[in-house]
Amino acid sequence: MTSYKRVSGDAVEYEVFARKTRGEPLHQVGSVVAPDDDLAMAYARATYDEERWCEMAIVRKDHVIELWQPGETG
Amino acid sequence: MSLSDLVLSIADNKQMLGLRYAEWATRAPSLEADIAAAAMGLDDLGHSRVLYGCLEPLGADPRGAERESDPASLRALAYFDEPWTEWAQFVAANAVLDTAFTVMIEACVNGSVDVLQHRLRKMLMEERYHFLHGRSWLKSGIRAEPLNRAWSEAIEWFGPPDGEVATLHKEAKLSLGPREMRARLEEQLETKAPDSHVDWKSWDPIRRRSRPGAIDEHTFGMLRGLEEKKFAPPKEA
Repeated sequence: MTSYKRVSGDAVEYEVFARKTRGEPLHQVGSVVAPDDDLAMAYARATYDEERWCEMAIVRKDHVIELWQPGETG
Repeated sequence: MSLSDLVLSIADNKQMLGLRYAEWATRAPSLEADIAAAAMGLDDLGHSRVLYGCLEPLGADPRGAERESDPASLRALAYFDEPWTEWAQFVAANAVLDTAFTVMIEACVNGSVDVLQHRLRKMLMEERYHFLHGRSWLKSGIRAEPLNRAWSEAIEWFGPPDGEVATLHKEAKLSLGPREMRARLEEQLETKAPDSHVDWKSWDPIRRRSRPGAIDEHTFGMLRGLEEKKFAPPKEA
């Protein structure tokens, strides 16, 4: 996941995922910053539409739950 | 006015909408909004090409030679006559006018004319993202003046209750008439159109607008390819 923070005001960061063919897993292709889900969808499609894709999904970055890394003490 | 005239009006308006969107590709409030402006501009310019391509199969192509010399012969709304100077104008066009054009395209796709049913369907898929973009920015709040103007021009563009669009609806060539189009636009934007009075006597049924005027000289020159001549090296004597 992208580690930098570029969010200001009411906007939040969304991770963008896509798969090019039905058989392949979703890959993270980038991120967008937007104040709501609607605008994030529009931005994701506009920004990452250069390559053909059959499925694209966005997830609010603050909704992603990260697990502890192996060996990490928590 | 024929169905071809209406399709040419949609095409000219989509062309101008695409160009005005693209002018904001480096001026929008964020990088994402810049990219969206560029992408939506490309979409709408592409849609206009498809619509121009429908004129020949529809029969009579209403484009005459005057389109090379008279900017007032283009059928775009007055809203597109001059480049937009503020983001609120972009948002109002994106939310209201772009959606109004989509409502008309829906009426074509769900109407009885084969070439429009098939060729315009893909536009509706792409326009879903334009709608999300416009509606979201509209919710953030913009000045009333460009919003009211966009609404009033959209309602004018749908046409009078007893005009040609109503006739095309009665003939089933369009699935919606002007009244249904207005209701659909209001439903989509989850708001009522502001009160406004249209003087249909001064309304131009070909350009589908009341205001006189035409697109700016620079844009008209660019559309005809004349602007590039300014950059050509001088010819040797």
